[in-house]
Amino acid sequence: MFRFHSFRTRLTVFFVGLLLAVQGAAFVIVDLANSHYARQQINAELEVDARVFGRLLAGRTAEMIQAARLLSGDFGFKTAYASGDQGTLLSALQNHRSRIKADTMVLLSLDEEVTASTLERRAEAAPMDFSAILEAADDSDEGEAALVMMLDGRPYLMVLVPLLAPLPVAWIGIGFVLDEQFVSSLKELTLAHVSLLRRVDKAWRIEASTLREPDTLAAALARVTRPRQSFVLEMAGQDNVTLMQPVAADGVLQAVLQRPLAAALAPYQRLRLALLLLTAVAFVASLFGASAIARSVNRPVQQLVAATRRVQKGDYGGAVAVDRVDEIGELATAFNHMTQGLAERDQVRDLLGKVVDPAVAEELLSKDLKLGGEEREVSVLFADIRGFTALSERQHPSDLLDLLNRYLSCMTEVIEGEGGVIDKYIGDAIMALFGAPLAHGDDAQRAVRAALAMGHELVRLNRELTAQGLPAIATGIGINTGLVVAGNMGSTHRLNYSVIGDGVNLASRIEGLTRFYGVPLIISESAAAAAPEFIYRELDRVRVKGKLEPVRIFEPLEAGILGDGELESYHEALAHYRAREWRQADDILAGLAAAAPASPLYALYRQRIANFLITPPADDWDATVVHSEK
Amino acid sequence: MDSEMWRIVLASLVVGFSTLTADAAELRGTVSNEQGAVENAVIYAIPLGSPPAASAGEAIIDQVDKLYTPFVSALRAGTTVKFPNKDNIKHHLYSVSKAKSFERPLYTGQKAAPVVFDKQGEVTLGCNIHDWMIAHILVLDTPYTKVTDKTGQAVISDMPAGTYAVRVWHPGMKGKKKAAKNPRTVTLAAAAVEIDFKIRLRPKSRWWREKPADADKNYADDERNSTGN
Repeated sequence: MFRFHSFRTRLTVFFVGLLLAVQGAAFVIVDLANSHYARQQINAELEVDARVFGRLLAGRTAEMIQAARLLSGDFGFKTAYASGDQGTLLSALQNHRSRIKADTMVLLSLDEEVTASTLERRAEAAPMDFSAILEAADDSDEGEAALVMMLDGRPYLMVLVPLLAPLPVAWIGIGFVLDEQFVSSLKELTLAHVSLLRRVDKAWRIEASTLREPDTLAAALARVTRPRQSFVLEMAGQDNVTLMQPVAADGVLQAVLQRPLAAALAPYQRLRLALLLLTAVAFVASLFGASAIARSVNRPVQQLVAATRRVQKGDYGGAVAVDRVDEIGELATAFNHMTQGLAERDQVRDLLGKVVDPAVAEELLSKDLKLGGEEREVSVLFADIRGFTALSERQHPSDLLDLLNRYLSCMTEVIEGEGGVIDKYIGDAIMALFGAPLAHGDDAQRAVRAALAMGHELVRLNRELTAQGLPAIATGIGINTGLVVAGNMGSTHRLNYSVIGDGVNLASRIEGLTRFYGVPLIISESAAAAAPEFIYRELDRVRVKGKLEPVRIFEPLEAGILGDGELESYHEALAHYRAREWRQADDILAGLAAAAPASPLYALYRQRIANFLITPPADDWDATVVHSEK
Repeated sequence: MDSEMWRIVLASLVVGFSTLTADAAELRGTVSNEQGAVENAVIYAIPLGSPPAASAGEAIIDQVDKLYTPFVSALRAGTTVKFPNKDNIKHHLYSVSKAKSFERPLYTGQKAAPVVFDKQGEVTLGCNIHDWMIAHILVLDTPYTKVTDKTGQAVISDMPAGTYAVRVWHPGMKGKKKAAKNPRTVTLAAAAVEIDFKIRLRPKSRWWREKPADADKNYADDERNSTGN
């Protein structure tokens, strides 16, 4: 699937884009430099060509001057001149012309008239004008001159030297026509195309050229308004570097030297092709390379994403395979370590939740653990199996543990169901807190409700146990509500969240009194005050071990568990008892005991009254029973 | 000074001196150009009255040290000129000038036949084997001629009193034709008359040739020495 924002696409686009940008820039720079150097090279070559051209003309000129000087010193020619015979003179000129292989020879009088000429003149030809070269010769010390001039409509390299007899008596002119043969010989030397142009009426006329189609040059030049000395001229679709060199002083005649740009560019063209090929190969390679790198990064990343999702769902099972040593590999390893760490932490959390109450575990995990606590009102519940020691003697230890675990699980569920927190299991005993670490506002009610529910749950459990042939369990539960200190206690390395204080001890003591009073559940006066909506039977007024203040204790009752008026009668009897009215108290109690012979409470009080009838209590008796044993 | 002014000066001279002398007179000429005195210029006077009596004279143009001497000669038409070669090598004397065209091929000593210059005009002598050997001869129909010396002066003496057309000529002079057409008219009495000519010259290369530095290397001596041994 193509996604522009996918890592693979972006990586590929970046690499390929970078490659193309760099290669493109390199291509342009190399191309510019190449064409620049090619032009420079051609220009340099053309300048050499121009010098060769100049040297060739100069050499030819020197040769012709030498030839003219020799003729000038030729005595026979002098005498022929002196003879004044036109035919003889012309014949002598012809002879010399063919001897030195010149194209034309003329003899001019000192009056600048043409005395004799080998040139076959056409009828319509303009008169021959030697004034420029004569002036040049006259101005020079040697009395000699060389010039490119038009003669009979054709360009000539012309030299003029005086005929000395022994002083100048006439001018000898030797002409060399600058024609196709001349430019061809020049091309053999320079390898450049050579053309001779003449300016006629603001247009260039080709006088001679080595070009196959000289007209293209004339046409191309017509398009150039102001030719510089060197420029690129497009001729018949080909670029030619062109150098113009004046050959006559007035600039009417120009030599044009040309070399095709393509020839100089040819080696660079191969370089350009190689560069293009390289770019194409690098393009494909980078496409595949970027794709491969992206895939090699993508796949493990996808695996990691999948693994992360699994971890998110709580599945720590699948570690990511680490088969590489790069950053991705490091990431995978780190991920595996993290997953392992998470798994361990979750395990710890689970375990913690089992070892301590989940609420406490939450409290522990959410905060920094530190020692110390706070004073708060907590209802502390103690539950204990009665006769556990006897039970343990009858049961195999592992069976006993099973039994105990079943019991504890059931009870714990009930306690937690009411928002209670298991502080600890102490053997077969359960210590639970209501109001710490979290206060609910009705913690005492919750505690009492939990205690009552525990009774129901125990009945249910006992039915199960009995059905399985196991012994039934009897428990005693005590609840006290009071100020305790709640917090983390222990050492800095190992600590418990717990509560301490008199309230805790009192709860424990009260629980211990259940057997004495023969009831399953006793709560303290403060707990009963905090949870007033229940029905209570006041059991007694006790002074437990370690506490000076007497405490009234109550038994919460399920509605309907006592007979009609039984609770009121009992409380009436209790009031008589505390007022030392033994008879009245005993009468009521006797009635109650007859109605409920199983209740040990009525028997307990009747026994006490019997004792007081024999031995009345001291004057300061306050109806408090001291329970000194634990 | 232009010629008009000269004419006034000369006219006053004629008036001043014509009554004083009877016979011989002297013409003292000076030729100069912008650079100063001009040597080898010819001053010549042609009597306007009766022509001078014809006389067939003789003259010599030497060949010494591969040079013609004198460089410039002014001769009366009909003069016979000898060309003795005083060098120990041969020379090939020639002229292709219209006034006198002749040739004396390679010779030594006095072996060349004399030449009679019978026609007026300029003659340039050359040596066919030595390009720098040049001599100029002006052939005139008057005996009253003189070539200027290094100071540019030429004195023509023993001239009868009378009126003359006086001209100047130099082988390298510009405007020769014009000069020939416009002579100065001088009337001579017994006293000497001075006359100055200002001329312009062409470049020296047009009428004179430098003798090469190695031209005097004595090839003939070498040959003689070698045969003498």
